Amino acid sequence: MMNGMDVNYLDSKNYVNRELSWLEFNYRVLSEARDKNLPLFERLKFLSITASNLDEFFMVRVASLKDMVHAKYTKTDISGLKPADQLGKIGEKTHELVNLQYSTYNRSLLPALKQNGLRIISRHEDLNEEEGVFVDQYFKVNVYPVLTPMAVDSSRPFPLIRNKSLNIAALLQKKEADECLEFAMVQVPSVLPRIVEVPDRADIKDKMAADSCETVKTVILLEEIIERNIHSLFLNYHIIAAHPFRIMRNADLTLDEEEAVDLLEEIQKQLKKRQWGEAIRLEVEEDVDKRLLKILKRELALSTSDIYEINGPLDFTILMKMYGLEGFEHLKAGRYIPQQIPALMNDDDIFTNIRKGDILLHHPYQTFDPVVDFVRCAAKDSGVLAIKQTLYRVSGNSPIIAALAEAADNGKQVSVLVELKARFDEENNINWAKKLEKAGCHVIYGLVGLKTHSKITLVVRREEDGIRRYVHLGTGNYNDSTAKLYTDLGLLTCSQLIGEDATAVFNMLSGYSEPLSWNRLIAAPIWLRGRFLRMIRRETRHGREGKKAHIIAKMNSLCDKEIIAALYEASCAGVKVELIIRGICCLKAGEKGLSENISVHSIVGNFLEHSRIFYFENDGSRELYLGSADWMPRNLDKRVEIMFPVENDDLKAEVLHILEVQLEDNVKAHILQPDGTYDKVDKRGKLLVNSQEQFCQEAVQKVMDEMVKTDSSDSRIFQPVESHS
Amino acid sequence: MAIQTFAAIDVGSFELELGIYEVSPKYGICRIDHIHHVIALGKDTYSFGKISYKLVEEMCRVLEDFSEIMKGYHVINYRAYATSALREAKNSQIVLEQIRVRTGIEVFIISNSEQRLISYKAVASKDIEFNRIIQKGTAIVDVGYGSMQISLFDKDALISTQNLMLGILRIRSMLSHIQTDRESLNGIISELVDNEMLAFRKMYLKERNITNLIGIGDCLLYLSRHINGGNVAGKISAEAYNTFYDRLLSLTQDQIQEIFEVNADYASLLRPCAIIYKQILELTGAEMFWIPGIRLCDGIAAEYAEDMKLIKFSHDFSEDILAASRNMAKRYKCHTAHIQIMEKHVLSIFDCTKKYHGLGKRERLLLQISAILHSCGNFISMKNTGDCAYNIIMGTEIIGLSHLERAVIANVVFYNIREFDYNAVQLDGEFLRNAGEGVSQTEMSILIAKLTAILRLANSMDRSQRQKLADCKMAVKEEGLVVSTGYEGDITVEALDFERKADFFEEIFGVRPVLKHKRRVL
Repeated sequence: MMNGMDVNYLDSKNYVNRELSWLEFNYRVLSEARDKNLPLFERLKFLSITASNLDEFFMVRVASLKDMVHAKYTKTDISGLKPADQLGKIGEKTHELVNLQYSTYNRSLLPALKQNGLRIISRHEDLNEEEGVFVDQYFKVNVYPVLTPMAVDSSRPFPLIRNKSLNIAALLQKKEADECLEFAMVQVPSVLPRIVEVPDRADIKDKMAADSCETVKTVILLEEIIERNIHSLFLNYHIIAAHPFRIMRNADLTLDEEEAVDLLEEIQKQLKKRQWGEAIRLEVEEDVDKRLLKILKRELALSTSDIYEINGPLDFTILMKMYGLEGFEHLKAGRYIPQQIPALMNDDDIFTNIRKGDILLHHPYQTFDPVVDFVRCAAKDSGVLAIKQTLYRVSGNSPIIAALAEAADNGKQVSVLVELKARFDEENNINWAKKLEKAGCHVIYGLVGLKTHSKITLVVRREEDGIRRYVHLGTGNYNDSTAKLYTDLGLLTCSQLIGEDATAVFNMLSGYSEPLSWNRLIAAPIWLRGRFLRMIRRETRHGREGKKAHIIAKMNSLCDKEIIAALYEASCAGVKVELIIRGICCLKAGEKGLSENISVHSIVGNFLEHSRIFYFENDGSRELYLGSADWMPRNLDKRVEIMFPVENDDLKAEVLHILEVQLEDNVKAHILQPDGTYDKVDKRGKLLVNSQEQFCQEAVQKVMDEMVKTDSSDSRIFQPVESHS
Repeated sequence: MAIQTFAAIDVGSFELELGIYEVSPKYGICRIDHIHHVIALGKDTYSFGKISYKLVEEMCRVLEDFSEIMKGYHVINYRAYATSALREAKNSQIVLEQIRVRTGIEVFIISNSEQRLISYKAVASKDIEFNRIIQKGTAIVDVGYGSMQISLFDKDALISTQNLMLGILRIRSMLSHIQTDRESLNGIISELVDNEMLAFRKMYLKERNITNLIGIGDCLLYLSRHINGGNVAGKISAEAYNTFYDRLLSLTQDQIQEIFEVNADYASLLRPCAIIYKQILELTGAEMFWIPGIRLCDGIAAEYAEDMKLIKFSHDFSEDILAASRNMAKRYKCHTAHIQIMEKHVLSIFDCTKKYHGLGKRERLLLQISAILHSCGNFISMKNTGDCAYNIIMGTEIIGLSHLERAVIANVVFYNIREFDYNAVQLDGEFLRNAGEGVSQTEMSILIAKLTAILRLANSMDRSQRQKLADCKMAVKEEGLVVSTGYEGDITVEALDFERKADFFEEIFGVRPVLKHKRRVL
């Protein structure tokens, strides 16, 4: 074993760049799209996710790196790379990734879709006459009226192109004159569906039927229809070339909070500006006319590495719409219905049930309804004095918002902290916030300099023996829609100690001083980092002393240098460190003399892994925590986060079981290799464990067990013995 | 009885605090929320003598929030008290008015002695411990931001209490302009504390044996978290405290911030606080240090609960006020036997004439204290005893009394031997204003007149200071308030004086006292 003193844990060579690690994650998602064991339409969905992921990655991360380069900022990252170096490496890897996306689509998915009855006409040139007539008619009636063609010449400047919008660029030549080429473009209208169904030809139908396809459909993309008819937009011109393209702009919101007098206004202003940021990526058809490309490159001030020549339809997020096409349910994974929570399967109200003991919720295996009910009941309950909640991302038409508004209407004191700075959700959040204010809720629009990422609800209720506080704490947002897709844990409790802390949290969020001491909750940005480090170092100490030491941590991302260094030190002290990290991981695993006792599992499945769980062996006095924070500097230093312990022994065992099953997963898990790549687990000779599937089954089983229990205890029917032998 | 939700607001020198409590006979006092906002009012007052507009603005904003929070909890009653920062600020009245107009919250300035008694009530609400501890020599030391208070208890009773101008915020302000290293600064603070404490020791501590030290005050709460392994309240040995103290003093300001998890503002206050307690432990030789972990808000709630008869302390705080007064009388060499009979007489007259004076329990206590202290002026001058007594009383802290109450007593004692002049009653307007709405100079003059009339009459009954009327009985009859005695000897001196004082008594109460001397027929 290496002695801690021999290794410089903080050396940048021991770390992986976070952007490259993120790209690795997107590769893992892509590998799901490539997995032939998955239902075909699920593969489409994964491919679509890789595309939307990549869009966000560019708008936020790449954009920010570009800003740094412009600002001549040369500070190196955790792995010792300067911004320009990072951009170079990202470009290289992204081009590879995009190639793999399209080869997956073209070589694997497209033929398979055709085989299964979905014919996608990729090029309008492939339409037959009958189909051509249909799409031309469709164009005339539906599309033409909403198009705004734009020509560029000396009197008309290059048009502003909206971020992420799909456009068709064309090179035109006046019919009368020759030589002179003109540039023109038209936006593919986002108000029309991009997938257009084409009535099927009889011959194809017959063939498909012979192949025993359940559904037969032919579709073409809107941009192909426009491209086919583009001449009708520029009547006096020859169309020399026409190609779809799409650009991405810098979307990073850098809010100067200290100066923003009114945060709300500032964000609204920034939102309007966002779509006109600097262009950072151009996607264009592979066989684009080089003259056209040159104009785009010049006008958008792009470098060659920012240009992606695409062999297929631009913007794969459309595949999510494709996924929604009717008639292909048999090609999708069976829909799972979130199960009831056994502790709540009775006639008592939620408060009575919580008083019986802490209740653990495991979403989406178990339903999110109790969380909504919790707020709903509180809104109606005559004993409830106050409801306080932090909202980070809520669904459209959120029942929680409605319940909070109702509570305010019923005279409860309702305080809501709405985090306006949740990226891409600002507009949505501002709307809700205004709605709540109107209803009479006290709305706090975030804290200056900090994002409030914690997920906590406090209900103050007057009961016969005095005030009692009910608290819900979670690892995921109060969003009933995403709760069906994200794996998260929640705890409903009326523990006095947690209640006191929850009150203190809201007092702090309202701008009051911190409490003298915390009972159970640990909050970032002040206390959480220190606590994590102390707990990791305690394991290290125990490891050195030969006591029982073991760390299991599950989170979305790990990129905090101080924490990683502490984990290396723990590993070198012989502590077994098992990490379950969905996304970015800047730690190097399994490296001799540094991290040979650390393993990193990454699970990419049908549900998005989102819960954060932290387990510390602590020489036998095991400690288990749940929380909203990843081990990332932004979570630990720039956000309000809450970590809370699971103290009830049964619930502790349940959470530990979740970790154990995930570590055993050999179907959906990838393991980080010492070279930084991720491989799937070798399944040979092993029982297959798909953790997400197992949790689904377990949730169903728990409900059944509970039903049997209730049935037998409620049974008032006598069972006569019919025969006696 | 149902549970009452009560709010206590403390407008302190360093923080604004709101405590929400549930109070009931069944469950006692439960704190359910505590909110505090750092606002260094004291910094303004101690440096410039008044509170700046900016701070008033901030204070009103926070108090408005408090008011909302109170509504949220459906609070049925509240008490808001301000302490030294407002008490000493020249513009306190206008600040209070601003608060009242803008937030609807009525804040009362309490005297130091009231503030301390309230704190002791909070300590006493942890009943069993308190009663047990004060059986032995105990010092309660409350180090606040503006000043500190030392009270000595022995055998269940308060012996003396003193306020020293050694608050931690005051010390920090005093030293803020001194540029020096950490070690020297520690030394300077120790020296400051030592000087003040030595005087206290000479005057009050003497050879008294102090076994226990009870520490209260907000700053100590932060310290105690680490003295006591994460728990706010607890007991430790003097030795354990010293170990902790040595460690604390070796830390830099940054380290203090990190380890104690406090911000820079608090961190700079912890060291002076630790030094003060260390000096006191050394000076008193106490072996055990108890930090009950209470705040002034807890005391306000305890006081409310007691007033509303929702809880009952087994320790009698009125007795403490009396004990402190008796100790004061002893210090000024008052004639004990005379005082004892005076106490008896005034209370008998008071109880007998309730119908005529309409006064309550609190006024009865003031009367009793007036009787105890009525002759303290003799210590300085037999000729100007009234003036001297007035000045002594006004210059001495009597725990549990407001400034106004103290002024009432001083006036009663002053007019004991002087012609009563309704228009010449000396009452500082500020005391009246601090006492809140509805308390007028006229009302107070009348109260003083009533108490004076009783005190004078009682004094005449022991004019010769020989307790001749120890056996007297009183009753209101047709002919008036009849005081009858079966004293065997001559009571001419008493009878003459009684007759003189009876005029004033009759003028005040409309009932004439009559002294009847019943001699046994042989």
